[in-house]
Amino acid sequence: MNPCAHIIDDDEAIRDALEWLFKSRKLPSTTWDSAEAFLAEWTPEWRGCIVLDIRMHGMSGLECFDTLTARGCKLPLIFITGHGDVPMAVSALKKGAFDFVEKPFDDTELVAIVTRALELDNERRRSEDVREDIRRRLALLTAREQEVMQHIVEGKYNKVIADTLNISMRTVEAHRSKIFEKMGVRSAVELVQLVRDAET
Amino acid sequence: MEKPGPITAPSAAWQLRLPYAALALFLLSLAALIWLTRVHDGETQYNTLISDVLWMEQNVQFHLDRNAAQLAELGPILQDGMSAQAEAKLRHLLRAESGLVRVIWLDRSGQPIAAMPPLTDDHLIGESRGAVPSRSTFRLALSVGRTVYAPAYEVAGTEHHFEAHVPIPSDTGAIAGMVGVYSLDNLIIRELPWWFSERYRVSVIDASGREIAAKSKVAPLSDALSYSIAFDPPGHGLVLRITAYKDEIRWIPALLIASILLLGGIIVWSIWQLRLQLGRRQAAEQALRGEILFRKAMEDSLMTGLRARDLDGRITYVNPAFCRITGFTADELIDRMPPMPYWDPEHIDRTVEVHDLILSGNPPAEGVELQLRRKDGQRLDAMIFEAPLIDAEGRHTGWMGSMMDVTEQRRARELARQQDERLQATSRLITMGEMASTLAHELNQPLTAISSYSSGSLNRLEDGDIDKQELVEIHRKIARQAQRAGEIIRRVHDFVRRSEPKRAPLDLNAVILEALALLEPDVRKRGMRVVKELTSGLPTVCADPLMIEQVVVNLLRNAMDAMVDTPRAQRRVTLATAQENDVVTVRVADEGAGIPDETARKLFEPFFTTKPEGMGMGLNICRTIAELHHGRLSYERRPAGGTVFVLSLPV
Repeated sequence: MNPCAHIIDDDEAIRDALEWLFKSRKLPSTTWDSAEAFLAEWTPEWRGCIVLDIRMHGMSGLECFDTLTARGCKLPLIFITGHGDVPMAVSALKKGAFDFVEKPFDDTELVAIVTRALELDNERRRSEDVREDIRRRLALLTAREQEVMQHIVEGKYNKVIADTLNISMRTVEAHRSKIFEKMGVRSAVELVQLVRDAET
Repeated sequence: MEKPGPITAPSAAWQLRLPYAALALFLLSLAALIWLTRVHDGETQYNTLISDVLWMEQNVQFHLDRNAAQLAELGPILQDGMSAQAEAKLRHLLRAESGLVRVIWLDRSGQPIAAMPPLTDDHLIGESRGAVPSRSTFRLALSVGRTVYAPAYEVAGTEHHFEAHVPIPSDTGAIAGMVGVYSLDNLIIRELPWWFSERYRVSVIDASGREIAAKSKVAPLSDALSYSIAFDPPGHGLVLRITAYKDEIRWIPALLIASILLLGGIIVWSIWQLRLQLGRRQAAEQALRGEILFRKAMEDSLMTGLRARDLDGRITYVNPAFCRITGFTADELIDRMPPMPYWDPEHIDRTVEVHDLILSGNPPAEGVELQLRRKDGQRLDAMIFEAPLIDAEGRHTGWMGSMMDVTEQRRARELARQQDERLQATSRLITMGEMASTLAHELNQPLTAISSYSSGSLNRLEDGDIDKQELVEIHRKIARQAQRAGEIIRRVHDFVRRSEPKRAPLDLNAVILEALALLEPDVRKRGMRVVKELTSGLPTVCADPLMIEQVVVNLLRNAMDAMVDTPRAQRRVTLATAQENDVVTVRVADEGAGIPDETARKLFEPFFTTKPEGMGMGLNICRTIAELHHGRLSYERRPAGGTVFVLSLPV
């Protein structure tokens, strides 16, 4: 599924109006008439953000949020609250919700928040992709190469590495050039940077 | 209570049987005594009989000997022929009582010389079977020289005679012997004294066992007491038999024995009755014991506590359930005088009041509910029923009380009542607050939708990429949401219209009393005193009784809440009504701490409250109600501390 804003609200008018609003700003959106319906379909690969009404028939917005968190969903989540729900929304924020808006809301503000949420998710996805690329490259290294690389990252000289592993200097150099090639770097500094990125 | 032992200890069994054994022995010895007495009596009688017989025999012997002597005397006299002297002697001999019927004198050859009365041949031939007198006997008498008796012989079929031959020694005279003929009957009948024949039957039996003479024709009843003796002389196998007619009845021993037997019978009967009585008593005791155990099991299994008190209020009995409920042991309670350890010091006044009421003899039939205290200090709500204790003689000796632990029930009831009351009293108030909140949410929905539709449309219009059809569609949607909002507003309006006051002329005092009755349990529970200063004869006001009641209830409750920290003795609410010109006022005064200034400013604002569970709508609604009735709700400080709320309504 393409990245989009998932609108979850049991009031049809609200869903329809928000969809219309997001469409006018070229923001892709999908609507769900209940938390249950959304949870039934959701998979971890989904991208975008969630716009969730707190007060709904059936499962409430907060329960839905807790369930998603428990399942490892990292999509930015925006709560829509009514009168009197503010304290609830604040506690939801503390638990990791992206933001909340109070009804009746400033439509421009909501659009801005959703836009930011979508950007955040996009960014996360991109860095996730990079890490994925590095991990893929690391997987190409042989066990010996990984061993040698560890020493390189620790900043050891070739001679020390050769002594430690009880191999010749020449062999170390051969491993070194192979590692650089596979990881797509030109210097030990770049390699260190890459490995650190992959670890975060 | 110790366990009841077996009915009879094993060692007591023989003790129980002892009286019976003694009784049997007693009866046996009594029987033996009577038997021995009778045996002894029989022996005595027999001995008497023997001595009587011996006496008789001797008497007859003597008689015969005397007659023989006289015959011997007569012989020599008759040698000289019949003389006057001889005749006199003969006549004397032949007296009826001598037993002699004839005297014959014989010559040496044994031929009769003469006889007195004289002999006839007929008499000799017809009446005697042998030669009379018997020659052999005469010869024997002559040869031995003394009297010899001849065998008895039958005369004329009915009588028996025998002869005594007396030899007369004479060398010269013709007469050699005298013969006396005896009639057996005469001898034994005439010779015996009256007392002897009265006591005994005397008979003579010959050698063949035939009775040949008897003193009486009457046969004796039994032969038990009889004695036979040889009748010698005359001898020749004759036997004299004497039979006692009957036992001599000796009245004093008989009476004694009879009374002993009677008394013995009475003793046996009494013991038997006693035994029956004992058996019945034992059965009754057994039944009683069973009944007591049954009752005890019943008392022990009861969940209801039982306690008995005497007329002074001293506890005389408690059952296990009572101990369980109060937590005290029976030892700690029995013999206690009031105040009891389970009385709650906090409710001591009422407890004493109830206690005195019961002891005065008027226990409430429907029971009393009291607050007590367990040994561990926990509160105990108890339902107590009392009934007089009457002893076997019908005297009133105390009171039996049953106690049920109603703590849990009462707590549950209290809770339910509180909830119910809170629900009732605040339902109207809550409706408003709830409605405000629901309304906000409900109205938010269409408004939010409208706003978004409109923003979206504006965005599209600004971008210029919207077609007419789309715009029409969106505006239809906007209109629908606007209608939805309108619908919500209409519903609110309907609700408000429904809660318009329903005015009716009413008596303010009556409404106040009604409100007080509603709060009565609460007032009592909180230990409040309500002073009523109601002015009678107030003009009626036109108002909704329920709404006014609600205001009074609210003000009363606020007043009580204001005195939570006031000492119990000072918790007083004063309710006063009065007429001031053309308004009627209700004043509710508490004696609490009063209202601080910053609170006072916000007093009537909605959602303002000083109570942890308050809605903050009470006073606000009260004021609204006052205003709906064109009246006012205001408050004043009480100079002595506390607050007065004044509701004034136009007449």
